Amino acid sequence: MWATNLRIIGIVLGTLALYTLIANKIPQVQSEVPHALTLGANVTPEQLVAAGDQLYHGAGGCTACHGLGTRAPNLLTDEKGLGPIGARCGKREAGKDCKAYLYESLTSPRAYVVSGYEPIMPEMGRILSPQQIWALVAFLESQSGTVDVTASDIPAASGPAASAAPAASGGGGPGIAGGSTEPMTIIRGAGCTGCHKVGTEGGAIGPNLTHVGSRLSAALIRECILKPDTRVAKGYEKFVGVMPKMFGNQLTGAQLEALVQFLSSQK
Amino acid sequence: MAHVFALVQAAADSAAAYRDFPVIGSRAAIWIAAEIHLMFAAFVLGVPIFAVVAEAIGIFGKDQRYDRLAKEFTRLLLIAYSATAIWGAVFVFLLSTLYPRFWAYLTAIFGVSMWVYVSIFFFESFTLYLYYYGWDRWKQGRAKIVHWCLGILLNIWGTAVMFIADSWLTYMMTPPRDITPETSPASIKLWHAILNHTWMPINIHRLIGNVVFGGAIVGAYASYRFLAAKTDEERAHYDWMGYVGNFIAISALIVLPFAGYWLGREIYQYDQSMGITMMGGFMSWLWVIQAFLIAVLFLAGNYYLWVGMGRIPGAERFRPYTKWLLVVLVLGALVWGTPHTMIADSRELAAMGGSHHPLLGALGVMSAKNTAVNLMILSTFLSFLLYRRANIRQVVPWAKTGTRIQAAMFVIAAGVVLFFGIRGYFVEAIVRIGYSVYQVGAVLACIVFVTVIDVLMARGAQSLGAIQWGKMPPRSQYALFILAVTFTWLMGLMGFARSGIRQHWHVWQVMQDTTPYAATPALGYAAIMISTCVLIFLSLVGFIFWLGGLAEKSTFVPSTEAPHVGH
Repeated sequence: MWATNLRIIGIVLGTLALYTLIANKIPQVQSEVPHALTLGANVTPEQLVAAGDQLYHGAGGCTACHGLGTRAPNLLTDEKGLGPIGARCGKREAGKDCKAYLYESLTSPRAYVVSGYEPIMPEMGRILSPQQIWALVAFLESQSGTVDVTASDIPAASGPAASAAPAASGGGGPGIAGGSTEPMTIIRGAGCTGCHKVGTEGGAIGPNLTHVGSRLSAALIRECILKPDTRVAKGYEKFVGVMPKMFGNQLTGAQLEALVQFLSSQK
Repeated sequence: MAHVFALVQAAADSAAAYRDFPVIGSRAAIWIAAEIHLMFAAFVLGVPIFAVVAEAIGIFGKDQRYDRLAKEFTRLLLIAYSATAIWGAVFVFLLSTLYPRFWAYLTAIFGVSMWVYVSIFFFESFTLYLYYYGWDRWKQGRAKIVHWCLGILLNIWGTAVMFIADSWLTYMMTPPRDITPETSPASIKLWHAILNHTWMPINIHRLIGNVVFGGAIVGAYASYRFLAAKTDEERAHYDWMGYVGNFIAISALIVLPFAGYWLGREIYQYDQSMGITMMGGFMSWLWVIQAFLIAVLFLAGNYYLWVGMGRIPGAERFRPYTKWLLVVLVLGALVWGTPHTMIADSRELAAMGGSHHPLLGALGVMSAKNTAVNLMILSTFLSFLLYRRANIRQVVPWAKTGTRIQAAMFVIAAGVVLFFGIRGYFVEAIVRIGYSVYQVGAVLACIVFVTVIDVLMARGAQSLGAIQWGKMPPRSQYALFILAVTFTWLMGLMGFARSGIRQHWHVWQVMQDTTPYAATPALGYAAIMISTCVLIFLSLVGFIFWLGGLAEKSTFVPSTEAPHVGH
């Protein structure tokens, strides 16, 4: 019986050893924690690029999709003859420079979905701090482009979802779009038209807001802006979770009310 | 109530957020306690399901063998149950002392459900005692039915306990979208937190997984007793028991991928980035390991059946087919294990000649993998079918027609699987995902209809000789051990995948893990942890089995009945 017992122990240990060995022989990838980035007022472009490089290849998780050729555009290598991202980012949107384009692509990725790809990228503002996002912008600019991110772009506050809009896209003051209370400026500044159609502007990922006032009361519109997933429009169930939940933090009270009044008047 | 929770939260907030555990660290301590608790829990939840089914076969089929089998299962359960409770207590104590703030957060939301959990656990324990100790007292007539109902009640308690615990862990993965880091836990409605995206998919996945796991462990127990048996009768009994354990494990395993698919889809729907992390991010290699393990399971399970056909008179008719089944299984396993979208550096990409391997890249996509796994399931089902029919000759007048219809169903199912597998290469991802439903539907329909036809065809069938239970070579029993170890390891691996996709969050995007162990480790480290847990678990199970044999004689009774004929 001892021989049988030893054989059983041998088979159990052998099987465990085989699985452990195989798992240790494959490439070892650890999911890093995004470390808080402390960039002083004298931060240099080189320091920003180095920090962005680390994020891109580590905690940012960018390599899970970018560079593989099927899920998302190549960023560090050529994409359809247009060169790396730094060489092409300034030409993607008319009137938008490279820095503004990259920033918005990271914080509102559904605003600019490259043709041929699906809108799968998460809003990085929910995952990374503004400092980290700016470091990523600098790193992406450095890929065959000119790094023009400076310390003045980076807000003092940090932490996920506490992002501020870039100066190049009209930010700089409190709230979105420099604190403007003009509804369409807020809508454009917040990137709503990346998904929603308002009048003749905007996309078709989210519900059309052109006549939203005839469907929803002002209170419900407010609720939908602040807690987007609590009410889901029929036919848009599969997009639950897509709309950012940060507008309660980003809009000023006056902006929120201006937006609600404007949308509820769209009958 | 809210006031009490607020006080708990306030007390926790004033305390340290974390404490460390000596030598191995707090993450490893929690990992081991949770994993081993879960392994025992899976065993004590899976075994009652088929104990009650075996008892029902015994009652309604008037076959005492099944009743004895059910009782022997339940005896194993009794000791394993206290081990589950002990490891559960270890887990809770470690969690509440090492992660006090997180623990306070969870209790603030789920406190009431924890009290309900404990109450049901109490009822479950006493139902189990009644079920086991009342076995011989309530063994006739109406009393036996009442006893069987106790078994059903035991399963209801067990399932309820699991569903409650699942709500806690699924909340950590997929908290409702309106909950943010600023949301006070005391303000979160209990039912709202329970009804999160992955709660029901995990419930169903675990329910089936527990049956698989229980079957595998019982199979290993039976194989040990088989190898230690001193008489032919004892050997015959444990050979049969091992067959039943393996049958249950493999049958439930066939359904498990469908539940897993549902769970994966829900994760994607909840958060695309979480799904991508799981399937294409830092965890992408995990699925290659999983494919290897599942290949081992399919091959070992089928090998056991094929060797088992050696003890069935008439099975030699089907032996030539087994080598073709082996070919399909091996090819399927190779396709399933083909990597596709991997994180690679520029040097690796250059060596490969692009982002995918020029030849094998086409086999690594889901169209090929879904096709492979469905054909593997069909092949395994065919093995079972051949095993079932090995020692009988159908006498119903439509037997030939029936067999042809069955063969046509296999061909149609395989054709549907291949058609949608190939077509998947030419359509968009969103359409391709929908194709897997057609593939799964064709395979399930084939399994159901072929089984129904087979049962009808077997009516009054002529026996070609009784199965010679016990006439199994020892190597077949070692296959059962490999199955048990692999199932246990796979459970640990998938637990790591489920928990690891939260990355550095206790509660996804709501409560961050700020310990030095917050980074999700690579597969190599995870494999060492999983193997450690499996080794501890199997050592304890071995000890429990030994204790069971020491304390009480096996329910095996040297039989004066005729040798077993049926399956």
